[in-house]
Amino acid sequence: MPEDLAVRIEDLSITYKVSLESKRTFKNALMRASLRQEAKMRTIEAVKHMTLDIPHGSVLGIVGSNGAGKSTLMRCIAGILTPTQGRVAVNGKISTLLALGVGFNPALSGRDNIILGGLASGLSKDEIESKTDEIAKFADLPDGFIDLPVRTYSSGMYGRLSFSVAVTMTPDILLLDEALSAGDAAFKEKSFERMRQLCAEARTILIVSHALATVTDLCDQAIWMHKGTMLAQGKPDKIVDEYLKFLNVGTLPSNYEDM
Amino acid sequence: MPANQDFVSKVQVFEPHKASLPPLIPYIKEFWRRRVFATELARFNDKAEYLGSRLGKVWLILNPLLLGIVYYVVIVIIRGGSDHNGLTRLNHLLIGLFTFYFAQSTVMAGAQSITLGGRLILNQAFPRTLLPFSCAIQAFREFLPTIPVYIVVLVIGKWVYPATQIAGVSWNFLWIPFIIVCIALTAFGLALLFATMNVYFRDTNKLLTYITRIWMYLSPILWLPSSLHGKSKLLLYVNPLGPALTGNSRIWVDDTGLSRNVILGCIFWAVTSMCVGGYFFISRERDFAIRI
Repeated sequence: MPEDLAVRIEDLSITYKVSLESKRTFKNALMRASLRQEAKMRTIEAVKHMTLDIPHGSVLGIVGSNGAGKSTLMRCIAGILTPTQGRVAVNGKISTLLALGVGFNPALSGRDNIILGGLASGLSKDEIESKTDEIAKFADLPDGFIDLPVRTYSSGMYGRLSFSVAVTMTPDILLLDEALSAGDAAFKEKSFERMRQLCAEARTILIVSHALATVTDLCDQAIWMHKGTMLAQGKPDKIVDEYLKFLNVGTLPSNYEDM
Repeated sequence: MPANQDFVSKVQVFEPHKASLPPLIPYIKEFWRRRVFATELARFNDKAEYLGSRLGKVWLILNPLLLGIVYYVVIVIIRGGSDHNGLTRLNHLLIGLFTFYFAQSTVMAGAQSITLGGRLILNQAFPRTLLPFSCAIQAFREFLPTIPVYIVVLVIGKWVYPATQIAGVSWNFLWIPFIIVCIALTAFGLALLFATMNVYFRDTNKLLTYITRIWMYLSPILWLPSSLHGKSKLLLYVNPLGPALTGNSRIWVDDTGLSRNVILGCIFWAVTSMCVGGYFFISRERDFAIRI
């Protein structure tokens, strides 16, 4: 893997089976077995033959409709899901914000939750404790709230704290899935500033967002995913334009129909 | 660049695993590196569970203690038999219940740890075995204070009924750590097994409440290991906790060491449980983010 690359994705496919039953239970399995029926499963091809290089210091936006495979791709880069085919190589320490409120137990204080979230992401306790105040400050928590149970937080405070934990852990590669929707306009501007700072330090950011303005404002590269396939890669303005046309027209441009 | 160095090196490569298990050495290294996460998770869960309730933790001791007294009343008094050895039967019952509760809590909480760890599993890559492991640590932390309580009950029992049989201080107590480790490993292995099953069948935990109850009745807690004769003695060895609970009672109540069969039984169940549960769990843990 060349040193200038943060992520290299080669012919990546991720396929999995999901049950069509509303709830899988022993009871249903026994009923099925007694009736000699087979479990109804559906194969999902979440990502299909994707190849992509992401250099260090770039901010990559990923756009696409629901079910395009964006979150699956992010989880595979984070090592949460294993490829079915192909390979993903990641050069650097990853910080993720793929599901809001990670490691957060509502009965515990913000400080305890920061420690749990940080430990889960592989940091040492000393490392996390030295950053707790910085995290609370970045999240704009009112005085004393850091030591109050998280259940007393507003949804905005909760989202800001999650985001703050992810960006303060000085990651080499930051993966954000719809994380920028947390907070008001002022916090959003502060988040953008922090991400620009991370980029200036040659750190890499991958953002999945339905807020297309975020992609054009923040990213220097973008990809468009559709039903597991990467349809286009290029400058964010161009990719967002094409994606918007698709959203308005409802059909893929003719040059993508064969993909 | 080494392939499949999940979790460990700066350059990580994720590829399909040819075998059903990921490379075990990097996995175990990463598990060990992140053990603090498991201990802190256990500590915080403990804190969250009893936050604002000072009596909360007292119930951890009161519950098995009262249950022990209830069973004692049923077995010794209502059944009409008298305990000629003072409170010996109660002592056997209590140490059995306290120890069984440790194993049961590990299995029950561990079985739910994956389905309840949703966001953590969806967001972070780490060895998932850490979640049931933290439940085992939490159960152990809750088990420890029951030992001094048991000793107090023993001493009071001996004082009130001098005929009560209790063990004096002897070298046999050096077997206790061995027994506790075997019980912890057996319960942890079973927790891994049931945690995996719970991901695929969401009523596993409901089933587990009945399984653990039957398991308790089949364990030498309400009855003495010496009451089994001939082929029925096999019951002590086909039960994963049978040998360990037998040994435990021998040390605490009878003041005797462990027989070779008990030692081998403890080791057999600890190793089997870890191998079966570990294989079942680790070979499927990459599926959890999709299933939960």
